[in-house]
Amino acid sequence: MPESNGAAAQGFTVLVADDNEVAQRLCRRVLEKAGYSVLIAADGLQAVEIALNQHPAMILMDVAMPGIDGLEAMRRIKTQVPAMPIVIASAHSMASDRERFLAAGADNVLSKPFRLADLISIVQSLAAAKA
Amino acid sequence: MTPSWARTLVRRAMPYAALAAILAVQAVAKADPVVAFPLYLTVVLLVSLREERAAAFAVAAVAAVAVVIPPLADADAAADVASALLLAGVMLAVALSVGELMRHARAAATSAQRRVDEMAASDRRLRAAFESAEVGLGLADLDGRLLQVNHRFASLLARDHDAMVGSSVVDLAFENDRSAVREGLALIRNGDVTRWESDVEQVRTDGEPLPVSLHFARLPNTVTGEPSLLVQATDITVRRQADAIRDCIAAVRQVIVNSSGAEVAMPPLLAALCEHLGWSAAQHWALDSERRSMRVRHGWNAAGPLLNGFLHAGRNATVVEGSGLVGRAWRAGTVTAEVDLSAAADYQLQNAARLAGVRSALAFPIVDGGEVAGVVELVSATSRTPTDDQVTMLATAGVEIGQFMRRADVAQALRRSEADHRAIFERSPIGIAHVGGGGELIEANPALLHMLEQDDAAMRTTAWPDLLRAYDQAAARLHKAPFLAGITDGGSIQVRAGTGTGNWLWLQLTATSIPDASGAPEHVLVMVEDVTAVRETSDRLNEALDAQREANSNLAKLDTTKSEFLSIVSHEFRTALTGIQGFSELIRDGGLESDEVRAYGGYIFNDADRVNRLIGDMLDLDRMESGRMSMRTTQVDINDVLMEAISRAAPGAISVEFKSDLDPRLPIVTGDRDRLIQVVSNVVNNAVKYSPEGGTVTLASRAEGRFALVSVSDTGIGIPPDEIGHVFERFRRVRTGAAQSIPGTGLGLTIVKQIIEMHGGKIWVESAVGHGSSFHFTIPLSPESADSLQVQHA
Repeated sequence: MPESNGAAAQGFTVLVADDNEVAQRLCRRVLEKAGYSVLIAADGLQAVEIALNQHPAMILMDVAMPGIDGLEAMRRIKTQVPAMPIVIASAHSMASDRERFLAAGADNVLSKPFRLADLISIVQSLAAAKA
Repeated sequence: MTPSWARTLVRRAMPYAALAAILAVQAVAKADPVVAFPLYLTVVLLVSLREERAAAFAVAAVAAVAVVIPPLADADAAADVASALLLAGVMLAVALSVGELMRHARAAATSAQRRVDEMAASDRRLRAAFESAEVGLGLADLDGRLLQVNHRFASLLARDHDAMVGSSVVDLAFENDRSAVREGLALIRNGDVTRWESDVEQVRTDGEPLPVSLHFARLPNTVTGEPSLLVQATDITVRRQADAIRDCIAAVRQVIVNSSGAEVAMPPLLAALCEHLGWSAAQHWALDSERRSMRVRHGWNAAGPLLNGFLHAGRNATVVEGSGLVGRAWRAGTVTAEVDLSAAADYQLQNAARLAGVRSALAFPIVDGGEVAGVVELVSATSRTPTDDQVTMLATAGVEIGQFMRRADVAQALRRSEADHRAIFERSPIGIAHVGGGGELIEANPALLHMLEQDDAAMRTTAWPDLLRAYDQAAARLHKAPFLAGITDGGSIQVRAGTGTGNWLWLQLTATSIPDASGAPEHVLVMVEDVTAVRETSDRLNEALDAQREANSNLAKLDTTKSEFLSIVSHEFRTALTGIQGFSELIRDGGLESDEVRAYGGYIFNDADRVNRLIGDMLDLDRMESGRMSMRTTQVDINDVLMEAISRAAPGAISVEFKSDLDPRLPIVTGDRDRLIQVVSNVVNNAVKYSPEGGTVTLASRAEGRFALVSVSDTGIGIPPDEIGHVFERFRRVRTGAAQSIPGTGLGLTIVKQIIEMHGGKIWVESAVGHGSSFHFTIPLSPESADSLQVQHA
């Protein structure tokens, strides 16, 4: 696993929206190690608030969260900031789910559980596109 | 021979010649006129006796002139003229007197002669009448000995005329009638009666009986003083035949009127024909069903055993149209006779007839509507030629019998139909009510009485009117006409009706109106069927269909639920595995601090443990739901269970305060103690989980009826109203607010509910957001505990 992505990762903030503490920690640990800044939201409403106020470069969004779910949060965010890259990271990982998330406007889908390299490469590709 | 006129002239002239001769002699002899006078008188008398008055008077006048002439011629004898005139006057007087006398004598003689002539003529006429009378006449003495008979009498009895004279009228009668004739003679002889009459059979010389009306009349005494008897015998064969025909027709009609059917009528009909018409036997040939042939259906023997063989032969015979006597009567449709059967080659039963001594036969058709329906054959042991009257009568009888048989068939069909309908009415398993025009019950069949469990009287007075009301109500609901408004459609109406013993039935009523002869509805037949079973079956079927529909929808729902469940379970597992996989990958890749490794190991352990619990709960739930979970039931003290649950929860729940409000007299329940502890622990852990620090969890127990009621109340966050209905569903964790951080499998309350229900209890929750939740559940008390509790309370 690459420890650092140099300039691409520098100043690139990822919002991790997940109600599961273990998932939050894992993502923070992995992404920070890769050089990204990480923001954490524990539910959908929080995710919308942080996304609109702190302008992360992208969002890693869980679906099954209390309050409004990840898809509703994504819809609200995309309404305000259509260009915001949002990757749905969900344990709903059936084939139909993937289609469903893409149709809802997701830029990419990461199925849980995931390989750490997959997480990095998805974030990296978006960071590269931004840069 | 001298012509008569000449003789008459001579006879007329003779007296005048005599007078002239006397005058001449007197003149010659110059005799005294007194002398000549007797001579003249003699001539005048002779002429007066023999000749008519005028002739006699003419002779007398000439004689008087002759007496007067001589004195006139002699002038001197003037004195003599006077005496001569006197003599002449005497002469004329004598002539007149004798002439008158002779006239009277002659008239008397003529009268006597005429009388004799007349008597002779009368006698001749009587004799002619006697002989030419159409009736047999005879004269007999008072003992009945015939003195004289006319030829008619003789021919009537086919006897010799002369032989009959001298025989007795008694012997002429048939033996059976002789005493009657003797009595008649005795009555006449004794002067009791002057006339006697009776119908008797007389014997012909050929042995045949002859029906005769015998009439005796006593004649007045004759010159000889012998009283005589006039015997009159009239042949009444024709009258007898007419009587027989009349009687026969009357008898036939009598039988027809009194018989109910052709089968019973035919034997007496045959008997009447034989008896009244004098036939020996009769057979009724009936058409078979295909109308191809005729067979004997009835026979009648009026003569004796000799004919039995003949009739027996008839029983086995078959005739076809046109063949033999019967077949010819069949084809022609008219009376057909065979006077001499021995000469009738085509007669069916010729052999049997010969053996039985049958000599003549007659067949007449039974005609119905112009078609021959059968033939009646009459046979006789004597040779018979049917009279025209008989033929006419039999032809008529054939038509009458045919019409009767048709009527009898119709009547029998009607009776059979009536009987059929009666049988249907009586034995039908369907109830039938016969209802009058006013709706009143005329008759209810046994099935209806049985169906409604009523007797006839109750049926009339209450049950039927009730049924009619129910009909009208049901009809009104269906927008149909009420019962009395007219039954036209023949449709059915189902009504609910109570029976005599209080059962309730569904009855289907089908009414049919029966019109009278004018077509107006006269009465109504109502079929009543017990459709209770059908209705109930149909209701059950509908229920079953509903249940099936529900099951189908449940299956569909179950299918959806299963998909959802799989989706949820996989989500739960993947969520747990995300941490396990991610952190273990970090550890594997190395380069970590030892405290990092320890921390990540802790995450991995927790998630692995959670996966393990998840699997355990799912298996538990599956066993419970599929009924494969066994319970180890014992006597359980609920209060003990509650205390145990508190003690287990206490180590992880130091932040909340436990309170208990337990009823010490709470009876023992029967249940699985470990499962019940699992229930209480789960609920208590929930309460602790969702309670803020310093919150209170209260456990309470008490008896509620035949149940133990347990309540676990917290002062926690509460459950939102839209969530409260789903708390016992799988993976329905309340995620809002602080609850999100609370770990759990999401199956705990579902398992709790299953365990409670397996014990026969119920679980429910009351909650207010921000104020806390109360979980209540009941467990049935042990039966003996419940009873003793009842006793205590009593």
